[in-house]
Amino acid sequence: MSVQVVAAKMAEVELKDVPTGKDLPAESPVTPTSEGKNLPRNDPHEAGSAAAASPTAEPSAKAGEGGTGLLTPNPAKMPQASSMKRSDPQQNGGEAFVNRDGTVAEAPRMKKIQFADQKQEFNKRPSKIGRRSLSRSISQSSTDSYSSAASYTDSSDDETSPRDKQQKNSKGNGDFCIKNIKQADFGRREIEIAEQEMPALMALRKRAQGEKPLAGAKIVGCTHITAQTAVLMETLSALGAQCRWAACNIYSTQNEVAAALAEGGFSVFAWKGESEDDFWWCIDRCVNVEGWQPNMILDDGGDLTHWIYKKYPSMFKKIKGIVEESVTGVHRLYQLSKAGKLCVPAMNVNDSVTKQKFDNLYCCRESILDGLKRTTDVMFGGKQVVVCGYGEVGKGCCAALKAMGSIVYVTEIDPICALQACMDGFRLVKLTEVIRQVDIVITCTGNKNVVVRENLDRMKNGCIVCNMGHSNTEIDVGRLLNLSCSTVPTFVLSITATTQALALIELYNAPEGRYKQDVYLLPKKMDEYVASLHLPTFDAHLTELSDEQAKYLGLNKNGPFKPNYYRY
Amino acid sequence: MSEPVGEAKLEVKQASKEVKESENVAEKYSAMTVSKNSEITMGELSTVFSAVPTHKPVKKQIQFVEDKQEFSRFPTKAGRRSLSRSISQSSTDSYSSAASYTDSSDDETSPRDKTQVNSKGSSDFCVKNIKQAEFGRREIEIAEQDMSALISLRKRAQSEKPLAGAKIVGCTHITAQTAVLIETLVALGAQCRWTACNIYSTQNEVAAALSETGVAVFAWKGESEDDFWWCIDRCINTEGWQPNMILDDGGDLTHWMYKKYPNVFKKIRGIVEESVTGVHRLYQLSKAGKLCVPAMNVNDSVTKQKFDNLYCCRESILDGLKRTTDVMFGGKQVVVCGYGEVGKGCCAALKALGAIVYVTEIDPICALQACMDGFRVVKLNEVIRQVDVIITCTGNKNVVTRDQLDRMKNGCIVCNMGHSNTEIDVASLRTPELTWERVRSQVDHVIWPDGKRIILLAEGRLLNLSCSTVPTFVLSITATTQALALIELYNAPEGRYKQDVYLLPKKMDEYVASLHLATFDAHLTELSDEQAKYLGLNKNGPFKPNYYRY
Repeated sequence: MSVQVVAAKMAEVELKDVPTGKDLPAESPVTPTSEGKNLPRNDPHEAGSAAAASPTAEPSAKAGEGGTGLLTPNPAKMPQASSMKRSDPQQNGGEAFVNRDGTVAEAPRMKKIQFADQKQEFNKRPSKIGRRSLSRSISQSSTDSYSSAASYTDSSDDETSPRDKQQKNSKGNGDFCIKNIKQADFGRREIEIAEQEMPALMALRKRAQGEKPLAGAKIVGCTHITAQTAVLMETLSALGAQCRWAACNIYSTQNEVAAALAEGGFSVFAWKGESEDDFWWCIDRCVNVEGWQPNMILDDGGDLTHWIYKKYPSMFKKIKGIVEESVTGVHRLYQLSKAGKLCVPAMNVNDSVTKQKFDNLYCCRESILDGLKRTTDVMFGGKQVVVCGYGEVGKGCCAALKAMGSIVYVTEIDPICALQACMDGFRLVKLTEVIRQVDIVITCTGNKNVVVRENLDRMKNGCIVCNMGHSNTEIDVGRLLNLSCSTVPTFVLSITATTQALALIELYNAPEGRYKQDVYLLPKKMDEYVASLHLPTFDAHLTELSDEQAKYLGLNKNGPFKPNYYRY
Repeated sequence: MSEPVGEAKLEVKQASKEVKESENVAEKYSAMTVSKNSEITMGELSTVFSAVPTHKPVKKQIQFVEDKQEFSRFPTKAGRRSLSRSISQSSTDSYSSAASYTDSSDDETSPRDKTQVNSKGSSDFCVKNIKQAEFGRREIEIAEQDMSALISLRKRAQSEKPLAGAKIVGCTHITAQTAVLIETLVALGAQCRWTACNIYSTQNEVAAALSETGVAVFAWKGESEDDFWWCIDRCINTEGWQPNMILDDGGDLTHWMYKKYPNVFKKIRGIVEESVTGVHRLYQLSKAGKLCVPAMNVNDSVTKQKFDNLYCCRESILDGLKRTTDVMFGGKQVVVCGYGEVGKGCCAALKALGAIVYVTEIDPICALQACMDGFRVVKLNEVIRQVDVIITCTGNKNVVTRDQLDRMKNGCIVCNMGHSNTEIDVASLRTPELTWERVRSQVDHVIWPDGKRIILLAEGRLLNLSCSTVPTFVLSITATTQALALIELYNAPEGRYKQDVYLLPKKMDEYVASLHLATFDAHLTELSDEQAKYLGLNKNGPFKPNYYRY
């Protein structure tokens, strides 16, 4: 989420060296190459492609975008989001001391970490933005892995490129390329912490360990490489799969996690701060190896799929399936499919019910308050807020704000969503009707120029303008300060990772002919299973159908419980 | 509202048993559809609506009158259920203002034996008493005020007459709300012949008012089964007039035409069906390859579903409980069985009043939603001893068993917002050691030998129909959806619809919603050309892909 506050009020913030949205100073010590100027160009592009992904699907596009918007409004934004991340309350205290965005914070005290984060955030942003072209995954939870970006040793490390170094793990294996294998212990600790927050994956590991549903699977993956991803990879491995992994984003890799994975025998090719050349080199090293051919792909953004498709088309003959989790990647797959060029089954996990709800509704419901509080310390009670857009993201924002005692107005273009807003007790207005009186403007439409200069001119002094939706396109950024902040709880990441694991199992074990050369949604039953694995977190006790009841309803006792068109 | 009706009660019991069995198919089907919780069996329908008239102005009085009627009517209605298959909630709303003015004073001659002529000399109708037309007109005018969406549709489309040439034969509840729909169709250029889809739901004076204005209506309150089919037949089988559109509620009309007049059937441009059962029958026909015209399933349209289930139940759960028990909700422990649309509505309403709400679920996705909405997901047995209120809305059967009823605490309220009588095992309470005491209409105390009593509402039938109302606004959504479906099917270019069952196009669904926004003084934002292009959308919709979940 990016928060923009009308300049008048933001003077104090400016003192903090917050770069404005447009001209991001390249002060990142980490990556001196600032390409902040790319921002304006890239954003619209990304936005466009996202919108195109589901042209009519403002909702889902929005979902994706919104989600992304929130975290990775577009790839460009992703870095910001991630950098802003810190261990939020939802993540257990354990993680607290591993600062999510890469600052070293040994003390498990939230306060301290927050401060640390705050500083780093701005340093990192410019460079990350510059790299956006490589990070296309704009679905929210696909970016969560950012949360604990490498923190221990970055600054102290030598400047030699990992490509020029020869490293071996303690077993003498050198089939990996990471920053520093010696960081493995640190990484292991992070992974163990993440495991505690991802009980669903651990439960899956235990339940399926005996039958090894992925025995023989050779998975090549391209995702953010973080502690959460590591839990996923080790789960896949426990279920019988061999994995080779690269990063889908040049900045998101947690070096020590990559080290821990390499130490554990995974062929990982990733480090924080890759160049574009490094990026493709890593992907290539994953795929192109003697005596090993992947039969499954786990992709986030579609870059890996693209690379194999371009460079090693013959490899596709052995691929059993692709699992793709980002909006953009899914869009690319649908395009391939449309062109008749998709020669293996692919599974779109981005649109699974459980993941969508968590990426958008539940996540935004919390982060809108959190984001605004952290940036502005605003008090919500009695404030007049206008929320532009009443899709999943908008519904979440409205619910949270209403609960805090705000007076909430909604703008919508879709009459069905508009009617829902009415029935939920929100006044449906046009933005211009309330622009002079509101204290906060929140956009989450996935559209562009929802708030234009003319609107901004008429806002009252101190009005807070922020975007929960798509990138910078929603607000016609002019002289606004652009802060950005957001967290993705590990729980949301857990939903995503579990969904990915189940999709891999499903595709790998599907009998011949169940999936053709097309893009599929995750089967309802798997979707339900993801949810059920997360219920213990809430100490929730699911009721089981009796045989008699199941018969009466015409259902299988173990699901699926709803038809595909059920709306939840 | 406290009238113990001993005999009727007994009959009810038997009748409802019958309902249970015969409704099986529909239930099964419904359980698997989105609307699973919204169905109503006949019995409930009748009770509900008789209990709660919608004429706001004269509410109190009517309630009394109807309250009495309710029990005398019920058994027969339940017995008649085979004729009324529409079990989607809003298809029943028309009940709300069951004829009240003149019923008892009327003569006993069957309308079929009477010859009546309206003021224009036409006698092509068969209603109870054409002289009641003025009363009916008043009711229709009242209904019009609550159905502004249809009226505005009437205004917007009156000049282009999108239904010019349409000959619509309809079989729905005949109430003031339906009359507004019919007169809208007429205003848009259609000719209409109408019959009732339920032998008890007809408002005689409304039927009279329609007949007076020239709509051929064949319906009265209290038809026999023979009358019922005779009316349908009179609608279809007339000299020099062949229908080209069908508006059905329950599928009886479609069935009759399919059986008796297959040739007429072939000339039909389309069928609009609004009930779960009717839709189910259409899908069966289609599956068997016997559906020879396009049909539109309006039951599953987004707007209608939301209003039938979520919004309607959110209000009626409180209303129903208050009316029957005067319970105070704050701090009460409530368990809601099932977290579908109906369950979500109930939980939201109860939480807002400060109740402590538990949820039981079988579907992990819905269970997770409940968790994230702040409700404890439990098994019923875990909380059964401590809760003050139990609400079922699962669409399942025997969700609350005798064993659980035995363990409830004294004064526990048990009611059903879901499907029919099956959710609570009421039959298991009919044992000699338990005493039943009817304390009010719809409220039974079941007393255990040790003095413990539980409060059973509506004998386990649907609470919101038995003890609350379906707002005219919800009916307006349904009627508008039907009108738009008719317009769509009638005007669709050749080939757009094949011989299959379709959902209402998204754009129409959106239009239904947009017509109702005025009620809330809601101001919809319009896309600029630039924005529409950016999103790849048409400025006028549809705004969402079909799989969007809202």
